[in-house]
Amino acid sequence: MSGPISYLASDLPWPPSVEDFYLPAIVHGTYPWITKFTALVWLAVAIIIVFFLLAYRKPKLVPTKAQWLAESVYGFGRNNVAEEVIGHKGLRFAPYLATLLVFILVTNLFSIVPLIQVSPNSHIAFPAMLAVISYVMFNYLGIRQHGFWPYVKMNLFLPGVPWPMYFLLVPIEFFSTFILRPLTLALRLFANMFAGHVILLVFTLGGFVLLQSDSLFIKPISVLSWAMAIALTFFEVLVCALQAYVFALLTASYVTGALAEEH
Amino acid sequence: MAGKPQPPRRSDKDAASGANAGWAAVAYLLGGMAVWGGVGWLVDRWLGLDGIATAVGCVLGVAGGVYLTVKKLGA
Repeated sequence: MSGPISYLASDLPWPPSVEDFYLPAIVHGTYPWITKFTALVWLAVAIIIVFFLLAYRKPKLVPTKAQWLAESVYGFGRNNVAEEVIGHKGLRFAPYLATLLVFILVTNLFSIVPLIQVSPNSHIAFPAMLAVISYVMFNYLGIRQHGFWPYVKMNLFLPGVPWPMYFLLVPIEFFSTFILRPLTLALRLFANMFAGHVILLVFTLGGFVLLQSDSLFIKPISVLSWAMAIALTFFEVLVCALQAYVFALLTASYVTGALAEEH
Repeated sequence: MAGKPQPPRRSDKDAASGANAGWAAVAYLLGGMAVWGGVGWLVDRWLGLDGIATAVGCVLGVAGGVYLTVKKLGA
């Protein structure tokens, strides 16, 4: 075996592991504050701000392509998430929900952009922070709307239930509303992006490992492995968009629950 | 949106509330088992009951979870 591929293959980290998600600092001594992941978050913020500023700089009645794209994306967050789920008064949450949608979508899509190929959301810290923001927001809204104790009571005590049942039900309601909600919000996004990255690593690196095999019958299978990697990359696009949508959708529905008059 | 006719609204709304109901049901069922199973486990450790309390707790928790799901999300 000779040539660049065998050299590359012998250096490959195989099998993929959690270690692959801990990339070194970009500037020496700044770990974990300035790494590829934090740089990508700033890049995403920059891309989103610049794109929306440029697209809206001179709004026209007949929109340009960029303006059309920006309006469609915001319109989706405004109409299909905020207004559909929360209702008419949900329009004031449209900026937050659309921001959430766009930010998660862009950071997710980094996982399939060539040469970047990893999403910050494959680190639990980033989805966790987003979940904390949504969690604090919907609880704050609920407490402001109803007052602290009425809000807690409304969430924990299901009306029309014989009182001894509350011993059984209140802990379950508390657990599912105040603990499981933020947890699943963060975990769902994190696990999807983490698993997606591992799967792409397995098929891409696996192709090189197969190519390195001594058997002539096994070498050609690497082509199959890379074909799978390409197919799964397209599948990742779907997952990226879906997870961004689900995160915004569930945030909106938690806000609805917090603002609701009575169950 | 750029002058396009609005799509029918019902289906979107149904899909959204359906997804939400699904997650809520999962949270109740798993949450019920986790909370009361956990309490049972603690009781087990305290009294040395070899898992009986954990089992009873899990069953109670699932019952509570099913009750909540039916009451809150059922027709």
